[in-house]
Amino acid sequence: MAGIWIFAESREQTLELISAGTSLARQLDGAAVVTFATSRQLAEEYISCGAGEVLVLPPLAGGQPLEAYVPAIIEAVRGGDPDIFLISATQRGREIAARVAAALDTGLCSGCTALKLDKEKKQLIMERMLYGGAAVQTVVCSGRPQMATIPPRTFEPAAPQEGRQGKVTELAGVQPSPVKVVGRAPKAAEAVDITEAKVVVCAGRGFEKKEDLNLAQELAQVTGGAVGCTRPVAEELRWLPEDLYIGISGKKVKPGLYIGLGVAGQIQHVTGMRDSKVVLAVNRDENAPIFDAADYGIVGDLYDVVPKLIKELRIALNK
Amino acid sequence: MLKIIACFKWVIDEQDIRVDQKSRELIMERVGYKISDYDRNAIEEAVRQQEAHGGSVVAVTVGPPGARQSLKDALSRGPERAWFISDPSFAALEPSQTAAILAEAIKTKGEFDLIICGEGSSDLYAQQVGPALAQRLGIPCATYVNKVTLEPGEKKLTAERKLDDGIETVSIQLPALITVLPDINTPRIPSLKQVLGAAKKPVEEIKKSDLGQDFQPRLETISILGATMERRRLKYSAEAADIKAVVDALLKEGVIA
Ligand SMILES: Cc1cc2nc3c(=O)[nH]c(=O)nc-3n(C[C@H](O)[C@H](O)[C@H](O)COP(=O)(O)OP(=O)(O)OC[C@H]3O[C@@H](n4cnc5c(N)ncnc54)[C@H](O)[C@@H]3O)c2cc1C
Repeated sequence: MAGIWIFAESREQTLELISAGTSLARQLDGAAVVTFATSRQLAEEYISCGAGEVLVLPPLAGGQPLEAYVPAIIEAVRGGDPDIFLISATQRGREIAARVAAALDTGLCSGCTALKLDKEKKQLIMERMLYGGAAVQTVVCSGRPQMATIPPRTFEPAAPQEGRQGKVTELAGVQPSPVKVVGRAPKAAEAVDITEAKVVVCAGRGFEKKEDLNLAQELAQVTGGAVGCTRPVAEELRWLPEDLYIGISGKKVKPGLYIGLGVAGQIQHVTGMRDSKVVLAVNRDENAPIFDAADYGIVGDLYDVVPKLIKELRIALNK
Repeated sequence: MLKIIACFKWVIDEQDIRVDQKSRELIMERVGYKISDYDRNAIEEAVRQQEAHGGSVVAVTVGPPGARQSLKDALSRGPERAWFISDPSFAALEPSQTAAILAEAIKTKGEFDLIICGEGSSDLYAQQVGPALAQRLGIPCATYVNKVTLEPGEKKLTAERKLDDGIETVSIQLPALITVLPDINTPRIPSLKQVLGAAKKPVEEIKKSDLGQDFQPRLETISILGATMERRRLKYSAEAADIKAVVDALLKEGVIA
């Protein structure tokens, strides 16, 4: 069967990888794009969006995690012998990919942020972050299939096309996993999505107490932005929800303006905001690394600077 | 008796890495090394479980001979012994090699109940070694664990996995492997006595020849280039005139309206 195979946790991410897969397939003289799906209905949609074949996984029994599909995926990959296998880099996707790669004794590029194809060698050339984002590593995979996990939203989702045909194959039953799910507590959806904000005001550990975040809120209000934070503010202090922290293990943002308040600028954080158009930083330590990542740096105490900044912005923006 | 293995990696401290802005080469001259951040949580969790339930903890690392320096640090955090799986060719291993080497070494050493790994290493952060090791050993695993409760009498554990969409609680029969998140615990800071005591703890060396395999990489690095950023790096003071200058500049950039 060969070709380019795809597995993702959700419909949206599957469509993103189909669009990555179909563009690779074109360069490989029309190799097949083969996608896993968890229902027949999704299978039809994936075909209309560019998949040539869809492998439908049987429904999981209650109390089974998604990872229970691993043995079935391994078996299908062994039989189908794909050239390339792309998996969405969600947490479950990362585990599934690592286990599939180990079982097949092949290489896996985790968190692949860019890929291109060496057509002659039929080899994927993949990029990923290293050292918390301080460096970019370019890798190739010498095993088969060549595997990568790709973060959600790296590619635009594929769109449906008129009259596409494809093959749907139902896979056989799944053995129960030794990992039993005994409870699930869904996360409450957050109202703000900082990845969409045009201005991001990022609160760092330079804030002394939770109430002081009002300063960041006020600045966000004046600039029409949203408040985000560094990891310790969310994970250690728990002043803001985890959905709001920016960085290599948090959200990637690319606003027009990023304002860091009391943010040190360690590499793991900077990696999440480096694509911002303009960066303004306020830090009282003139040697803070954030100033190397900033266009405009104000050396000063945020408790002194931010009110002045708000006042000046109010005047300038007539607010 | 509960037998726990805590895996850790000795890594370059990324804060010490400098990038040559022109060539984008990494300047590694004065880098320090550390136990990978998440692995400190792995060791800590192993020791806490042992303190609660008895049994033993062994800390395990794979690396080149220079990684020997890590053992004292690891042992000062509580495990009573260490395995050092070392070879000069183990310098820049990719995750599939590390997992394969760990799997072989653990097989030669025999029994265990629980293996704890960090979520990922702070250098590569590939998040592969834990699950790949579980797969190679044929044991169940739970990744991204934020809380774990062991029931050694029943040979099982309950783990809370913190995932993008919420918390999933799973129950697994031992032997098993978990990978842990940084907020599962706060790693202890070893006391002077613990640091001195660590030097006396046994370290068992495992050589490549003991493992009878070659461990070829499956992923090959073509290049590593420093990430650079074009920024203006203008600095201002907290004086009112400077603040006004910054606001004017932002207006000119067209990023606020
Ligand atoms: C594997 C790994 C992954 C990580 N992932 C992430 C991630 O995704 N996101 C993330 O953010 N971090 C991440 N981190 C943590 C990261 O390395 C830093 O520890 C973190 O970003 C620091 O947050 P901070 O800048 O808010 O705090 P600090 O490092 O404590 O810095 C606070 C800064 O505020 C300044 N300051 C203090 N008081 C004031 C004041 N009154 N006025 C002005 N300035 C003041 C100080 O000078 C200092 O520079 C990760 C770490 C590791 C090891």
